[in-house]
Amino acid sequence: MTVESFAPMPLAAPAAPIARNRPLRRVLASPLTMIGLVLVAFHLSLALFAPLIAPYSISAILTDGLTPPSAQHWLGTDQIGRDYLSRLMSGGRVALLVALAGVSGSVLIGTFLGLLAGYVGGWLDDAIMRLTDALMAIPELLLIAILVLTFGKEIGSLSLIVAIVYTPGVVRVVRAKTIMIASLDFVRAAELRGERLGFVLMREIAPNLLGLLAVEFAIRVSSAILKISALSFLGLGISQPTPDWGLMVQEAMSVVFTDPWFLILPAITLSSLIIGINFAVDGLARAYGVTGTETDL
Amino acid sequence: MSAHVKINGLTITYRDDAGEETAAVRDATIELARGETLGIVGESGSGKSTLARSLLAHTRAGARFATGSVHLGDTDVLALEGRDLRRFRGGRAAMVPQNPMSSLTPHMTIGAQLEELVRLQTDLTGRAVHAHALSLMERTGLPDPELLARRYPHEISGGQRQRAVIAAALIGKPELIVLDEPTTALDKTVEARVLQLVADVQKDLGATLVYVSHDLNVIRALCSRIVVMKDGVIIEQGDAERIFNAPGNAYTRSLIHAIPRIDVEGPLPPAAASPIQLEVRNLGFSYHRPSGFPFRKAPATRPTLDDISLSLRKGETLGLVGESGSGKSTVASLIAGAVSGHEGRIILDGEVVSGAARKRSRDMRRRIQMVFQDPLSALNPAHTVEEILVRPLRLHFGLSPAAAREKAATALQEMELGPEFLSRRPRQLSGGQQQRVGFARALAAEPDLLICDEVTSALDVTIQANMLSLFLKVQRERAMTCIFISHDLAVIARVSHRIAVLEKGQLREIGNRDSVLHTPSNAYTRRLLAAAGTHLRGGEDETASLRIPQSLSA
Repeated sequence: MTVESFAPMPLAAPAAPIARNRPLRRVLASPLTMIGLVLVAFHLSLALFAPLIAPYSISAILTDGLTPPSAQHWLGTDQIGRDYLSRLMSGGRVALLVALAGVSGSVLIGTFLGLLAGYVGGWLDDAIMRLTDALMAIPELLLIAILVLTFGKEIGSLSLIVAIVYTPGVVRVVRAKTIMIASLDFVRAAELRGERLGFVLMREIAPNLLGLLAVEFAIRVSSAILKISALSFLGLGISQPTPDWGLMVQEAMSVVFTDPWFLILPAITLSSLIIGINFAVDGLARAYGVTGTETDL
Repeated sequence: MSAHVKINGLTITYRDDAGEETAAVRDATIELARGETLGIVGESGSGKSTLARSLLAHTRAGARFATGSVHLGDTDVLALEGRDLRRFRGGRAAMVPQNPMSSLTPHMTIGAQLEELVRLQTDLTGRAVHAHALSLMERTGLPDPELLARRYPHEISGGQRQRAVIAAALIGKPELIVLDEPTTALDKTVEARVLQLVADVQKDLGATLVYVSHDLNVIRALCSRIVVMKDGVIIEQGDAERIFNAPGNAYTRSLIHAIPRIDVEGPLPPAAASPIQLEVRNLGFSYHRPSGFPFRKAPATRPTLDDISLSLRKGETLGLVGESGSGKSTVASLIAGAVSGHEGRIILDGEVVSGAARKRSRDMRRRIQMVFQDPLSALNPAHTVEEILVRPLRLHFGLSPAAAREKAATALQEMELGPEFLSRRPRQLSGGQQQRVGFARALAAEPDLLICDEVTSALDVTIQANMLSLFLKVQRERAMTCIFISHDLAVIARVSHRIAVLEKGQLREIGNRDSVLHTPSNAYTRRLLAAAGTHLRGGEDETASLRIPQSLSA
């Protein structure tokens, strides 16, 4: 604290320019956010490079069956005799890919519909919102089961299913924020100078949604990964021989009393990814002042 | 004799975003004798509310009392804790905050909230509690207390809510009452009555009063002593009359000079015999409430605007004045084309202007421009000033990006902003600068008609005064036709050639500036003028300690 900082300012002094790096400094000051970011970075690089750095192929059968950890196989081998460490390292790849692709789709479609519903209003708003209400009224797992039976279990189909299931939530959030922004006078100014609908939505309103969308995207990716793992566990998602943490937990159920690490290890890796995303998003959202997202998934 | 209220060397600090400790109030010392009325005045961010709240040992989250002391009588206020502090607040010292809506809980009736406080602050029980609450409501001039006690906060008017909060403050018969901008959200005529109530109450209780406001007129009407704050520092304090008549500090002088007054000189008259540019005939409008059913409209409610006719000559400014809900902004929205579906006709230069902006011709959209009330809301926070100015220019004139950029810089210059502002974003500008950008955007379109909707009401007084001078200069230079909308008669008096008074959607009076201000023909206009504090001719109230006309206290 210095005395100079309280010297009377000249009249109509310009507002101090807002320091651009202030939010970033706040992020770096928060240990939870840093833990989150490190975990996310770790998992992303693992997903990208697992096939290159894994000691063995994920499908090679190397032993007669279940073996405990050893010098050759640090985490042992699974029931079929495949290297468990290699499979664990690759276990998040498909779920992450499906979640990223599906949630990207849902954010794109949801933003488009949410902007239209929130800004245009009237019957279009009614139609879009009743449609999302209808989708949200179906119990989620039941909806997913129906969609899986309809579209199948390939990566593309699963991504489409994720996109369908997550779109209504995005629509609601974007619509609410759009209604708020549409009431501001800069939107009025754009209308008064005769801007087209597309310009008002994409150039005037959408840029103000970016922070919200970034948080929405990350939060829903974390939720989607959990959901895909649950599906795989139930046999509705990713299937053999693709390694997947949800599937690995399910396979380990039969040996849980004799070899519990087969269950605990994929559970820990899955949790660390989810926790990482959530911590990172929480910190970033707070630092950049994004509020009003549906963090209660 | 020892002082009743004594603030000694008080510094209040808070941690800013970067985690550094900054002082909101620095080394403040104030002494007040019992029954004195103190006005704390300053512009936004001056620390006036923070200082006032310290009298109840209250700070906002993250702030703390760094050094100094606050005493009420012999009590060390900042040392109070727990139960003692709770009894002190609302008992010996009471607070009336700015927004009565947020200080009343929405789920309880007014009566129930008052009774709860009566039980807390007095020894009354049973039926006596209810009776006491009703007597307080009567005391604060709430009509029909029995009925109003059963109402919820959202069911009564803003003035009534503020009276209810003042009633709550009186329960403990406080010896110190702190009021933090209690009338800022109220209309002028309502404000005058609430101020009268505050003055009466203070006299009754013999309490010491601390009144925080950015409005020097209010402070002058109510207070015998004044503290002027700027950037957390008390830069001047003393007897009210002395400060108003002979301010000892340059900043105080500029504050007093900037007070909007009705008895200012109006603008220079426009060129004689200029043609009529805008004509509004029998303008009417009703809002449709949503019916609750999709695809169906509910029947219209009471008309928002009813049979408004007015005309404007080229180069003339029409001041449109009225209180909230008078329909003045609706007039602006209809003429600008932000709202469609009106009755009657709007004619600009002999051409009928119709419907929403998108139905109008490109040229017509350019010819009518609007400046909005809240400059932050009017500028897209995601865009730079350059983007904000260039886009309309390209649309209106079909300019190339380079030409539009050049024209944008010229427009900024007319508003006395340098070209370096082109790369800034709205949030990096002060309120006054934001509003200048708003004006630059409208003026760059070279409009025939400029509509200004409450353009100065979000600004501090000194900035407001600058803004008005700039407006007058530009209006004169361009011989621009303007509709200037405001709730503030002093602002209207400064800029208008003619004045129209709106109440409840109806045109009460329209005429030349001087005739409306000096010889109003309508009773409502007279009430507005009286509530604006100072009569044009001055005189009759000047000697009274409280310059609020008695006709308003009913």
